[in-house]
Amino acid sequence: MSVRSATRPSVPATAILILGALYCLLPVAWVVLASTKSAGELFSTLTFLPSTHLFDNIAELVAYRDGLFWRWMANTALYAGVGAALSAVVSAMAGYALAKYRFAGKNAVFNVLLAGVLVPGVVLAIPQYLLLAQVELTNTYWAVLLPSIISPYGIYLARIYAAAAVPDEVVEAARTDGAGELRTFVQVAVPMMLPGLVTVFLFQFVAIWNNFMLPYIMLGDDKLFPLTVGLSGLLNQGASQPAMYTLVVTGALLSVIPLIALFLLLQRFWQVDLAAGAVKA
Amino acid sequence: MRLTSGTKVAAVVATTALLATACSGGGTGGDDAADGPVELTFWTWTPGIEKVVDLWNAENPDIQVTVNKQDGGDPAVTKLLTAIEAGSGAPDLMQAEYQKLPQLVSAGALADISGEVSGDLAGHFPDGVWNAVTLGSDAVYAVPQDSGPMQFYYREDVFAELGLEVPTTWEEYAEVARAVHVSDPTKYLGTFSANDAGWFTGLTQQAGASWYGIEGESWTVAIDSPEVRQVAEYWGGLVEEGAIDNKPMYTPEWNAALNDGSQVGWLSAIWAPGVLAGNAADTAGKWRMAPMPQWDASAPATGNWGGSATAVTSQSEHAAQAAEFVSWLNTDPVAVQALVDESGIYPADIPASTAALADPPEFFANQPDFYELASQTAQTANPFTYGPNINVAYSAYNDEFAKATEARTQDAFVEAVEAVQAATVADLKNSGFSVNE
Amino acid sequence: MTTETTLRGALGGTPTPRRDSPRRSARARSVTSRRAGAPWAFLAPAIVLFVAFLAAPILYALYLSFRTEKVSGLGLGPGSRVEMWNGLTNYVNALADPEFLGSVGRVGLYGLVVVPVMLGSALLFALLLDSRRARARNFSRVAIFLPYAVPAVISSLLWGFLYLPGVSPFYWIFEQLGWDVPSLFSSRLVMFAVANIAVWGGVGFNMVVIYTALKAVPSELYEAAELDGASQVGIAWRIKIPIVLPSIIMTFVFSMIATLQVFAEPMTLRPLSNTISTTWTPLMKVYRDAFTRGDLYSASATSVIIALATFLLSFGFLRLVQSRAFGQEENR
Repeated sequence: MSVRSATRPSVPATAILILGALYCLLPVAWVVLASTKSAGELFSTLTFLPSTHLFDNIAELVAYRDGLFWRWMANTALYAGVGAALSAVVSAMAGYALAKYRFAGKNAVFNVLLAGVLVPGVVLAIPQYLLLAQVELTNTYWAVLLPSIISPYGIYLARIYAAAAVPDEVVEAARTDGAGELRTFVQVAVPMMLPGLVTVFLFQFVAIWNNFMLPYIMLGDDKLFPLTVGLSGLLNQGASQPAMYTLVVTGALLSVIPLIALFLLLQRFWQVDLAAGAVKA
Repeated sequence: MRLTSGTKVAAVVATTALLATACSGGGTGGDDAADGPVELTFWTWTPGIEKVVDLWNAENPDIQVTVNKQDGGDPAVTKLLTAIEAGSGAPDLMQAEYQKLPQLVSAGALADISGEVSGDLAGHFPDGVWNAVTLGSDAVYAVPQDSGPMQFYYREDVFAELGLEVPTTWEEYAEVARAVHVSDPTKYLGTFSANDAGWFTGLTQQAGASWYGIEGESWTVAIDSPEVRQVAEYWGGLVEEGAIDNKPMYTPEWNAALNDGSQVGWLSAIWAPGVLAGNAADTAGKWRMAPMPQWDASAPATGNWGGSATAVTSQSEHAAQAAEFVSWLNTDPVAVQALVDESGIYPADIPASTAALADPPEFFANQPDFYELASQTAQTANPFTYGPNINVAYSAYNDEFAKATEARTQDAFVEAVEAVQAATVADLKNSGFSVNE
Repeated sequence: MTTETTLRGALGGTPTPRRDSPRRSARARSVTSRRAGAPWAFLAPAIVLFVAFLAAPILYALYLSFRTEKVSGLGLGPGSRVEMWNGLTNYVNALADPEFLGSVGRVGLYGLVVVPVMLGSALLFALLLDSRRARARNFSRVAIFLPYAVPAVISSLLWGFLYLPGVSPFYWIFEQLGWDVPSLFSSRLVMFAVANIAVWGGVGFNMVVIYTALKAVPSELYEAAELDGASQVGIAWRIKIPIVLPSIIMTFVFSMIATLQVFAEPMTLRPLSNTISTTWTPLMKVYRDAFTRGDLYSASATSVIIALATFLLSFGFLRLVQSRAFGQEENR
């Protein structure tokens, strides 16, 4: 009975999981089907019947203003990829310092950094713009990239990972061997924190990818737009222009594919431990 | 009265513009030639305008214009105002809808280019349109690009099938609306959209309303006027009895309704063919355009929905070159022809538009006299004045009329008019504007 | 070692003092004093960026919240706008504004829907993933997590299509079945329409958080219970949930903050309906004041109020969780 029963497949348990999965996949399935439809079909034929216009739609999207869509893709990769990578580095350093050193003001620093979570991006966008305008950085890649590097969540997570994954003994052994603080961090601590740092990277990647308001307000030149801002623009061209739903739906599909690939590729790192930091291998 | 205050304003603006030019290191032609070509950035959302700008760039190596595509109307204004507030980041050139001009001028966002443009420019445009870019003063804050006189668009095939006549008065429109809905409960002659304040404004303009006015040194707000109430009561009544739909326009659902023929008509403006072609391409050849239904058939009138002008911003260091480009873009016959061909706009410029608009839009190939009819209706547009906080009035419209259309009662529509008036006046006063009540 | 300490803390037992020998503590202290500058050097990039892109804008917003701009006359000439101090007026106006208070109440109700449903399903899914009795676990984990990758602006648009009776395949099915299902955009249901998008986008992330914590539970802890014949539900309830409670509390705090900041979903859905006003949530009001009305000053005051409220609400939880999560290093 006992242990074997625990491994016997349970129909209700499986059913609930599958139901949850279907619920989550539903809009994704819809976007796949909708992107196969021509503009006329999107609004006139039943949504769950696929059509044959996927490649026409992609071709139209790619042709839009001489391939601006790819530019948006590349910009998004730049903002989210470079931004998240730098964010992981900065968070790792800060998290390591907060977890592995004792110094006056440590808790104050941590609490202040964490309080950044409380202030939403919508609120920050305009003051950030006004301040960046002082140094003439608005409407540049820097305007979106620089504010995206600092992540209170990332520092929070990095602190937990550093505390959990880097034993004091190892740090001290490195120091006893005469390694400097930086070398100890780079050669000893970072490799141990690496799985956690990948999570920080992915976390911030999604956060930047999701942040609509910052690029929306910072950028005037549509060659600098990330995908979200570019696609939303296709829907909001004013009353005298048709909303380009077909292009947006196709664009949404194409833009989510690389992200899904990234997720699948790095999924074993998706271990977001918010509280304890103890992760079984 | 109005002229004097305007003149004062213009004088101050002109002086400041001169000072600004002088202070910006003498941005005159000679210096610029030494520094290489002048680079101008242009915020616009007009589709295909890059190709028109390319024509200019090819002819004018010394003044190169770069197009930065924007989201339509509101977001572009938001960004421009933020850049003005910040003191940098604004483009040299900016497309702006007519209703936004008082707000932009009030925020100091636009340069007065009256000194840079030729004196006969005014003669290119209808008086009402020119008035919108001068705000009734001697200043010139923008050059009109396109205008949006309203007409009635309807499905000729459905009308024929149901044996309906094209309504020429609002009374007839109501009867046709009932007939359409009775014939098939899923069909409507139109919808009252709480999302499109510009549309409602155009309808009230047709009825003779002007939401703002200037009396001496003060603004007046006449949103709660007999004319606006008349329009609100009319639509409130139709929504209450269910003869027309109450859902917003430009939603996927509305697109679907255009495609499957359950929206049988659309009170829209001259740019409607482009929207219909984009949203319901398969219905080409089934639509026709007619003048708006009238309140008083003996005095035909219409309103405007949309339409925009091109302005030079106050942060531009090359106002003269920018003004030169703006004049070319909107009045040169080659440019206007290109705007019609590439962007599908209805140019505000009278001399160039006659030639440019010889053929009907492709979507309305079945109506050869499309632009002839349009130009007749355009001449009947009533005068209208926008105010410096039209943004507040429009956002109040969105909220108040959303409630009213959801409540589906005539009384709620009238209350919405009162609420929009109250919100607009309160905001003007709170901002410190002088308001005559 | 770390796991053990954490578990004890999590189980609610007395925090175990670390078995630090006096010798090691003394050495650690000397190391600390010798390298006093090191932590600050490591923190420097974070602090510089924090000051430049979070602290400075926040302080700037705070400054703006006490100011206002007054126009004179027609307001059409340059120099007709003057910026000036406004004391607490912006705050008083915000707190007395029925639209703001309405939006706060709405978000409160919205949170009561979103947070329990999202965290409840996240916990359920996590427990099922952790139980060896469910099939298709890998598939489900990836599928449920997938929505996290979809930006809220895009997901709201997709759901918008699925909500609108005129284009939704669901309403087509309902119609074929002869059911008269009310529009999700009707005033009674619109909150659930928005809540559904938030749940859809957030359940996977929270599931992964809780699942990660569950995986850290040593299986010996409940294998004994299994041998004693305890049911899976009983084990989940009595052993697993108490152990992962710190993670659940953290997801609760973060979900609560996200709830108070709900913006992108209703903002994207607004043009599709008559039932979402421009001030439907507090942040939408901030957006409307700042972007549509160009009143940065009122918008700043409202933002400060929202940030303070968020802080007060989450402070207690954060304190609680911090003392648990970081208990292990504090004893060093």
